[in-house]
Amino acid sequence: MGIQEQYRSEAAALLSSGEVKLVIGFGAGSTADRRRPLFARTPEEAQKFVLDAACIANLSTYLVAEGLLSDGKKVGVFLKPDGIRSVNILISEAQLKPEQVVILGYAIESGKDVAALEGRNISDFSIGEKIRKLTPPPHVIEAAEKIEAMSAEERFEYWKEEFSKCIKCYACRQVCPMCYCRRCIVDVNQPQWVSTSSHTLGNFEWNLVRAFHLAGRCASCGACDRACPVNIPLRLVNYRMGKEVRSAFDYVAGENSDQKPVLASFKQDDPETFIL
Amino acid sequence: MSDPFEPKIVAFVCTYCTYAGADLAGTSRLKYAPNVRIVRLPCTGRISPMFILKALQKGADSVLVSGCHPGDCHFTSGNYHARRRWTVFRALLSFTGIPEERIRFSWISAAEGAKFAELINEITDDTRKLGPFTQYQELQKVIETQSSY
Amino acid sequence: MTRILLRNKLDDCIAAWQKAGFSVLAPVKRHEMSSFGEVRKADEMALDLVLTERTIKDQFFPQTEPLIKYKIGKHQIDSETMTPPEKKRVFFGVRPCDASGLAIDDPLFGWDYKDDYWFGRRENSVIVTIACSQADDFCMCTSVKLSPDSTKGADVMLRPLSDGSGWQVEAMSDRGTALVETISSLLQESSAEAAPVPQVAEKFDVEKVMEWLADKENFESQFWKDIALRCVGCGSCTFLCPTCHCFDIQDEGDTYQGIRRKNWDSCSFALFTMHTSGHNPRNTQSTRWRQRIMHKFNYYQGKFGVNSCTGCGRCTRQCPVDMGITETLQAITNLPR
Repeated sequence: MGIQEQYRSEAAALLSSGEVKLVIGFGAGSTADRRRPLFARTPEEAQKFVLDAACIANLSTYLVAEGLLSDGKKVGVFLKPDGIRSVNILISEAQLKPEQVVILGYAIESGKDVAALEGRNISDFSIGEKIRKLTPPPHVIEAAEKIEAMSAEERFEYWKEEFSKCIKCYACRQVCPMCYCRRCIVDVNQPQWVSTSSHTLGNFEWNLVRAFHLAGRCASCGACDRACPVNIPLRLVNYRMGKEVRSAFDYVAGENSDQKPVLASFKQDDPETFIL
Repeated sequence: MSDPFEPKIVAFVCTYCTYAGADLAGTSRLKYAPNVRIVRLPCTGRISPMFILKALQKGADSVLVSGCHPGDCHFTSGNYHARRRWTVFRALLSFTGIPEERIRFSWISAAEGAKFAELINEITDDTRKLGPFTQYQELQKVIETQSSY
Repeated sequence: MTRILLRNKLDDCIAAWQKAGFSVLAPVKRHEMSSFGEVRKADEMALDLVLTERTIKDQFFPQTEPLIKYKIGKHQIDSETMTPPEKKRVFFGVRPCDASGLAIDDPLFGWDYKDDYWFGRRENSVIVTIACSQADDFCMCTSVKLSPDSTKGADVMLRPLSDGSGWQVEAMSDRGTALVETISSLLQESSAEAAPVPQVAEKFDVEKVMEWLADKENFESQFWKDIALRCVGCGSCTFLCPTCHCFDIQDEGDTYQGIRRKNWDSCSFALFTMHTSGHNPRNTQSTRWRQRIMHKFNYYQGKFGVNSCTGCGRCTRQCPVDMGITETLQAITNLPR
């Protein structure tokens, strides 16, 4: 039995036993190479689940949807390691109760084979070591290094061009499991910290603020990067932030669900080379 | 002839240490560059990176963020939290091309009036050499003009 | 015999238009994004794209636009109205769906008040449409009663020759005729045939959809709740739509001065209908998605007699969760009656 059939029947069993009220997985998309999030409430609907190497979205973003878990009932969700990592971060930030999430874990190996991950509860997955060893795709590192090698003026020009494309559709924010604020700072208007206009200055501020808010919290799933309709390489900023918290504080986001958020904790001997 | 460039510097300081330090500089009759505009806050832990961005948006050429030395925070740990935040924010600014030299961080206690005066003079001189932060200020100018079509 | 424009005459064509005082805008791919941008040479154009990622709407209704500059004094307020310069522009290589979008939005911007920002630009622009020679999986113009060679919104219509060497030229309006006149020496008479128009399958029955939407019984249907479950509430479908036109007025500035701006807004955002009291009449994503569909295929039709969709398919093409108008309208078409 392939993993798709296995998970279809497991999802159906979870639903028919009443253990979960809903399973979030993937269904066929509008073209042959697309998969779309699918919400199954009955065992019959669970038969529509698709699980293959095209299932790349991080579905954990739906776990923080307003009202989804407020009734205390459990929800099943298909997650890759980056999704599991997101769940770890969400739990460590007290946004999720671990017992409310049943994970149908899978990993995409060498871009084509799908393997099941053992376990159902978040505590079953010890992904910490794997995450520490994880390296981003070479093209991401390469692109980030290219930017770091530039002069400050060139870097500014580079991002100015990129951010000037931004139309403030907030797709990056909406698909991100870490962007769970009920009222985002950009929607706060008294005072208006970030300009809501999508002129380059407003875009600059918005993208800097989002990157900063994700520092030490990003699961590197790449959802923002894929969602951006104007192709801003958002991933690069998040990668650079992840690199910084790791080198400065030896912190890797989402290693486990017990860690204290990096910017909500400190050590007395944290590095401070730049402070006069 | 155009006016010589006078740097605009915004200093975000905590009230218990650096602000008291600045006060001491004043009462000790120490002279320091008048280019700085001081914004007093309860603690460095209250200084949001948003403040720095706002200062740049409103035309600051350099920003100073300063508070109590580690261990001296009035609220015990505000400055430790701030330090982590700055570390990360500084990396972000650098990566996006906002020169590190324009955003400075320091610990200045209530007894360090002289350090405050010296630092302000140093930042003013350095900023004078760097020149106005035109790259960022241009973005503001663009907003104020009508689109080209 | 028809008049044709050869590809290798494009550089001369641009020069002629520039000489006549026009800026020439065409599909370009810059910084990993395709949109309409000013070009000086033909090789800057990306004419082989199915569609640009950004629509031509952006050029008439920018994502952010200053309206008034104001200063608040002690006893008075000084304000200065900012109007766009009346710059003459040629849009070369517009796809029929994008050109139709302009024509669809015209009545809206001229309805109870004539929007000078929109019409100032419209009246100074000439739209040169090129009929499509390819379509992708998301194209659905035929489903909304347009076609890959629709002339709606076009001032000049170009139809690709079957050998790819150029286009048949047909002026569709007075402005178009005048524009063709400026390049008449570059055109030649030819009997070369136009390439066949690509087949775009009909994906839904728009009549059936409109009928279902018009039935008030269906407004509270469970259908809406189910179809919009996965919508994450971003605004990319609305911002990349050639007809979506909602905007928000924002004052940006401080206590003493500022700029009043017109910014794009989106019915997908939770904040869009949020009242000051905290009450939100469209407080779930399904009600927002319903609004988008109803606006395009019911309200707009009722007010202006036309549907506010050109079938470009961008809403589905770039949706992060693979939603879009096509799927919803297909589902409505297939609902049991």
